[in-house]
Amino acid sequence: MTFWDTLLYDLFPLIWSGMITGCLYALGALGLVMIFKCSKVVNFSHGNVAGLTAFLVYGLSSGVLLSLSWGMAVIVALLCAVAIAFLIYAIISPLVFESDLTSTIATLGFGLIAQGVTLLLFGADIVALDLPIPRFAFSVFGLLVTGYDLTVLAVAIVTIGALFIVIDYTKLGIAFRAISENPFAAEVCGLNLRSVHLFAWVTAAILGVIGALLIVPTTFLSVTTVATFMLQAFAAAVIGGFASLPGSLVGGILIGVLMNLFTFYVSPEFSSTFLLGIILLALNIFPNGVLQRVGGSRV
Amino acid sequence: MTQRLQDIAASSIASWIPVAILAALPFIVGGSWTFTLGLCFANSIGVLAVSFLVRYGGEVSIGHTFFTALGAYAVGVLDTRFGLSLWASVPLALVLGVSLGIAFAWPSRNLHGIYLAVTTLALALAVPEMINNLDWITGGYEGLYVSTPLVPGVEMGLQRYYLGLAMLVAVAAAVARFRLSRQGMTLLLAKTHPAAADAFGTRRVWARIAVMGISGGIGALCGATLAFSGSTVSPGGFTFWQAIFLLVGSVVSFYGLSLFRVLIGGAFVTLVPQLLSASGAWIPVFYGLSLLGMILLGHYLPRIQKTLARRKGGA
Repeated sequence: MTFWDTLLYDLFPLIWSGMITGCLYALGALGLVMIFKCSKVVNFSHGNVAGLTAFLVYGLSSGVLLSLSWGMAVIVALLCAVAIAFLIYAIISPLVFESDLTSTIATLGFGLIAQGVTLLLFGADIVALDLPIPRFAFSVFGLLVTGYDLTVLAVAIVTIGALFIVIDYTKLGIAFRAISENPFAAEVCGLNLRSVHLFAWVTAAILGVIGALLIVPTTFLSVTTVATFMLQAFAAAVIGGFASLPGSLVGGILIGVLMNLFTFYVSPEFSSTFLLGIILLALNIFPNGVLQRVGGSRV
Repeated sequence: MTQRLQDIAASSIASWIPVAILAALPFIVGGSWTFTLGLCFANSIGVLAVSFLVRYGGEVSIGHTFFTALGAYAVGVLDTRFGLSLWASVPLALVLGVSLGIAFAWPSRNLHGIYLAVTTLALALAVPEMINNLDWITGGYEGLYVSTPLVPGVEMGLQRYYLGLAMLVAVAAAVARFRLSRQGMTLLLAKTHPAAADAFGTRRVWARIAVMGISGGIGALCGATLAFSGSTVSPGGFTFWQAIFLLVGSVVSFYGLSLFRVLIGGAFVTLVPQLLSASGAWIPVFYGLSLLGMILLGHYLPRIQKTLARRKGGA
């Protein structure tokens, strides 16, 4: 009886809340994977840029910079995120075709700049940024479900669904898949690599903003919050194989649940070490991601 | 080929001139500069460790603070808990660095490029957490103070300076020798032509583990020097950002392994935060801009030179 009680009161809520945060990790991971899939660049600036835009929403809606409504602030921040993505890609695009590792290091530079700009504009203070959502909670089979949970779930499903529809059915999505499969053949067929890369960067930036805005209410907003959150997204992408969009979705939810279980049952202080362990383990057991079987030779 | 070897030998002799200048500096500049330069030498060793991995392994690490922390805490713990000086702790740091470098390289032996970079990132993130949670030995947030002199009776400030310089020169000289050695050649072959190296009996996995081990060892020596020259060891010195700064230093010195180049990288890592300490927010901006600037320079410079050469030839 006690076993079932603990299962009901500890395990299920842990898995549920892990899945909710996992959806957010997946949103972050999808952005990383989209960029990696087509241009083979790992965007280390993802977290810091998303953090900067979350701060922009805060600054524009709280009166620090302007006093816009929340919706307007989000629109302006999204436009800024798209502009930043444009700028970053414009600067590193000559490097992308030369060395993916060099351009990856270059994105670290942009991450540093984004962090510095956040510090310059908003300082090192911790601020609160909430979502304008109705506050309610109800319980299903002993599981407490809040309005926040449902919002995250709904937004994640709509965003990820829209993304998959775009990638599966639109011309742009087909071009994206073609370039990810074989950039040379795609270029021979007349596709413009740069515009598809730009599509990936812009989409990733938007996903980053959505993820950042949704994760901030659970903690608070500081210079490092979103960057730290994106590190879990990195782990999610790695588990998914870094080149698979459904894989990163599975990876995100897996990381969310595993981290939650680990911090509750083992220790909250060693979560980064645990993450390192997961990454090493996943890369050894599933070098191509959890959704793919290990096949072929690895020379 | 012998010409190339002679060139390398000549350049190593040429690098003794800056060493002589640096050795005379404490008698010219003030105490605070002596201290800063000591740190600068220590960070140069760290930059060298990152560059070594790039040059010999073709891999990028953003987690070298793991190894520097290892070396620094080897020195700090032996000093404060057991009263042992560097004579005991530096060899321990080296052994720890090499063996944990190998221990990390083994599970990641099949990872390359970006995958390895992300794994080292996770390694860097785990470091501060490990230090803080092992506070019964590491001293947690407060850190440790290194005070046992290396040579009793000599002024401590000078010891901290000259140890840094001596370590840097020793490591740089060892790496330069390594470049000429058979093992060094083998590793370079394994990086540039893995199939050929395979045919000669050098397995790629072995090469990777060896490079990681050496790089980890150099990283630990950097940490040991950092602990002694900087006199304190605390988790703040081994954050994720510090790991990125080491990489920035390596990029700024164009992944060079010579004494002069790594000194530039080390000076960059040490002096920029000092000079900009009044306006902390500009530090990441400046680092980011220099990183980008150097990368773009490395990309465009050969092209500009080519265009200029073509124009000269045409005229």
